[in-house]
Parts: sequence; C-alpha cells; structure tokens
Amino acid sequence: MVGLADLSLVEAADAVRNGEATSMELLDACWANLDAANPKLNATIWLDREGAEQAARATDRAVKEQAWLGPLHGVPLAHKDMYYQAGRLCTCGSALRKDWRPGVTATVIEKLHAAGAYAFGGLNMAEFAQNPTGHNRAFGDCHNPWNPPYITGGSSSGSGASVAARFNYAALGSDTGGSIRLPAAACGVTGIKPTQTRVSRFGVMPLSFSADNVGPLARTARDCARIMTLIAGHDPRDPTSSHEPVPDYEATLDGDVRGLRIGVPSTWFLDEVDAPVLDALEHALAVLVARGATVHRIALPMMDAVTTYGSIISRVEAATIHAQWMRERAGEYGIHISGRMYGGYAIPAAYYVEALARRGPVLRAFANEVFAKVDVLATPTIRTCLPTLADTDIDHGPPGTETKFMAVSANTRPFNYLGLPAVSVNCGFDPSGLPIGLQIAARPFAEARVLKVADAYQRDTEFHMRRPPVLDAADAPGVIVA
Amino acid sequence: MDPFEAEVEATIARWHGIVAPNDPARRMAADLISTIRAFEALRGTLVFEDEPASFEAALHDTKE
Repeated sequence: MVGLADLSLVEAADAVRNGEATSMELLDACWANLDAANPKLNATIWLDREGAEQAARATDRAVKEQAWLGPLHGVPLAHKDMYYQAGRLCTCGSALRKDWRPGVTATVIEKLHAAGAYAFGGLNMAEFAQNPTGHNRAFGDCHNPWNPPYITGGSSSGSGASVAARFNYAALGSDTGGSIRLPAAACGVTGIKPTQTRVSRFGVMPLSFSADNVGPLARTARDCARIMTLIAGHDPRDPTSSHEPVPDYEATLDGDVRGLRIGVPSTWFLDEVDAPVLDALEHALAVLVARGATVHRIALPMMDAVTTYGSIISRVEAATIHAQWMRERAGEYGIHISGRMYGGYAIPAAYYVEALARRGPVLRAFANEVFAKVDVLATPTIRTCLPTLADTDIDHGPPGTETKFMAVSANTRPFNYLGLPAVSVNCGFDPSGLPIGLQIAARPFAEARVLKVADAYQRDTEFHMRRPPVLDAADAPGVIVA
Repeated sequence: MDPFEAEVEATIARWHGIVAPNDPARRMAADLISTIRAFEALRGTLVFEDEPASFEAALHDTKE
C-alpha cells in the first residue's frame, strides 16, 4: 500500500488514466504533504490552490468524457519560479521581481499543459538562479528534506525539495552550472540537464544564454524520460533550439546495459572526494557491472581548458544581463549574488570571446578522445558530503566561505561548458543521512543513453524510493494498492 | 587595499559605472587573479585547426 503522493509521476498519470485515482485526489495528497512538510522546508514562493483545484476538476471532467489531453493528464506540478506563465506571478527568486507578472508563457509550460498537467505554484530557487546551495535572502533559504540545516543544492532548490518531500510529482529546473543536478543529488531525486540546445528556453528567465538549460527533476529516470519526450525539440520562438529529432525516451528504457563502457575519470572529478561519496560511487558502479557494463578508469583531456573557460562565460553573461540593476539597485540583491556578479565586469572581452570561440574545438577534442574509449562517464555529482546552509552562507559567513560555496558545483560545471547531457540519481546516503548523487554524462544528444543507465540502476536499487524524515509526521492520505 | 584590487574596482567603475556593493564582492573580484593565472597557463597549450568554430556544429558532429 502506498499513498498517492508516494507515486512516481508516471504512476500518478497511470492511476488517473486507469481510474484508480482522480486528479483532485492527487492534488489533495500533495496538499497534505505540503502542509505537513513545507513549513520546515520553505520550498515554495507562491501557491495557487484555487486555480489548481479548478484545473483538477476540469481534468477529472475530461476523464469522464474520455477526452484525454495527453500522457500527464490530471497530474499537478509546480516549477522553479522562473518559468513565465502569462499573468501569473514570477519572482525569479528575487525581491527585484517580487511582483512581476510576465505577458508570455514559456514553451515548455505550454507543452506540459498540453499533455494534461497543470501548475499549482512557484517553487523557491536561488535568486536569479545564481547559487549552488539554495540560499535566498528575499524569500528565505530552502531546507533539505533529509536534514533541514543542510543545503538543498541550487539553484533549483524548491524543485528538488518539493519532489523529495512528495508534494510535487515533478518540477522543471534550470541548469547553467549544475542547478538541476545539484538539488537532484542533495535531495535524493533524479534530474537531467539536457544537451545544450535540446530544449526551448523561450519564456524562461535568462541567466547565461550560452549555458542555460531547461530540464526536469522527478522521482525516477522514467519520470524524467516522460517529461523530456514532451519538452525537447525545436521551438520557432527559440532560434537556438536544435532541430535534432526527439526520440521517445521512455520507450528506450529496457534495463539493458550489457556491453556499456563506463568511464570513471581519474582527473578532476575525484579530486578531494569524501570517502562516503567514493564508496557510494563504487557501489553504484558494481550495480551496473552486475547488469553487464564494464568500468574503465580514464584520464580526461582538456580539463584545464574546460574549467578555465567554463568559469567565466556564465559570470560575464549574468553580469551583462544585470548591469542596470547593479548600477541602480545593487542593495536589493542578496550579498552573495551581487558579490559574485561584480567581478564579472572586470573580465576582459578577449577572455570571454576566447572561451566561446574555443568551446566547439574543445568539445570536439574532448568527445572524440573520451567517447572513443567509453560510452558514458560516471562521477559523483557533488564531491563532498553535503555542507550545511550555515557553512556556505557567504552573506553572513567569514571570508573564505565562498570557497566552500563554489566547491559544491565543481563536478557539474564542466558539462555545461561542454554542452553534454548529464543525469543525477541518488546512489546512497552519507553518515548524516543525506543523499549522495551519481552523475552520468554522455555525448551530445545522448539523453536516451544517460536515462537508460539511470533507469537500469534504479531497477536494482531503492535509494530513490525512500521517504525523507521530514514526512515522518505526515500521514499520506488517499491510499491505493501499488 | 591591494593594488590589483584597486585596479579592478577602478576598471569596473570606469567602464560600467558600478561600485563594489559589499566586501564579498571585493574578495571575489580580487580572486580574478586566479582567472588570469589560469589563462596564462593555457597560453600556447591549445592548437586547433578549426578555430574559431561553431559550438552548435560541434554538438551535432560529435553526437551519438
């Protein structure tokens, strides 16, 4: 027996389709967990209960009329509060936009709604998607459902926390330096950063136009596959989006990883790794080896270029976007947000252009060498056991706090510069009871492959199914037979 | 103030009209010296026949 809110996204959609649950029952189950857990987590910025209940009733009426909207019919969702929905609040996590209502709706939101889902709120996030921890001065920090004094990861902090705390079946996040994979890892859920250009960014708050990506966080790899199939593809309103055909990602999930060559980098990704994280990585590899994969320890080329060039692109682009407010309203940003952007104004244009101009050649050199030897790369998503919010609080911490803060995203940023798809799945827990993430990356447009590996791993493990302690006091209503 | 920090702050003020909003901003701007060193270390180590080249083309050329 499981509660309705314990269902994965795919299970919830199937329950509505099979008549085992109504959309209103799913929504009520989400509300119950939200009301119990969210006061400890602060994972939401705004909620539209009335609008969500109207949408639930409408989709339930459509079920009776057999008017199926699509593969997410009747599933309530909430997203990082940077996806524009015409006329609805969209704070981007900042006091500077606390009352802002956009006039357009993001393409990805339109696609999810066309598939039958509806959005019930805006989720907490790092201010303007600019930190890897989940700190937020304007709306309050987001707290980890597994141990609230610890970070959720960011910037999609509320996306990770709400899915982990089971009051949201899936959430869109965004990923410019790890902002989907980090909260997925820290909150013990699954998240995928697609290939650069794979998903439209129309109607999505820009942070860095060269490195921003849209993708889902959800309970399982299968959930992410379903959403990716719906949201990927070219969008005329985002000319940078790729025309590459979109496969049915869910249909490729067969658990078969026989012959898969897994590369474990001996460079960069295991530098100063914590022992519990390394142990979890090795155990995860053993699970995949038992399914027929092979493991290869390899040195990665070009990492000095990847990390050096990758460190400046988003910094310069974010600084450029925010220049007017930095001149006129800098005091309204969180200290660490304005503090990080400030240095971006001193980076020479020649450095920035060099980093961009060499991105293609560096990718070619990296991919041609690495993916001739292995099919995927497996690394820890975060090298260390999770730090606390206090340990990484630049606004109130001593000099040097920024070093701990930046270390959180050391293993995710390289794949943003390279533009590669990468997924993070929960692969265990550290001694503080906090999740550990396994990151799997592959060639451009190999979303199907990384999701397949993640799904194969989840077939033999149960880490992704565990309930966080924050729900212990909450009784999940609406029970169905699993 | 360290001469490098002073130079960075003056450059930002002159070119962008932006002043340091807080102490972490000054500290993180001062850390740009590590960015300069990283770029210096890369000089002469990378030679590409196709430079500059389209990143989007490279994504498609190296796909599965």
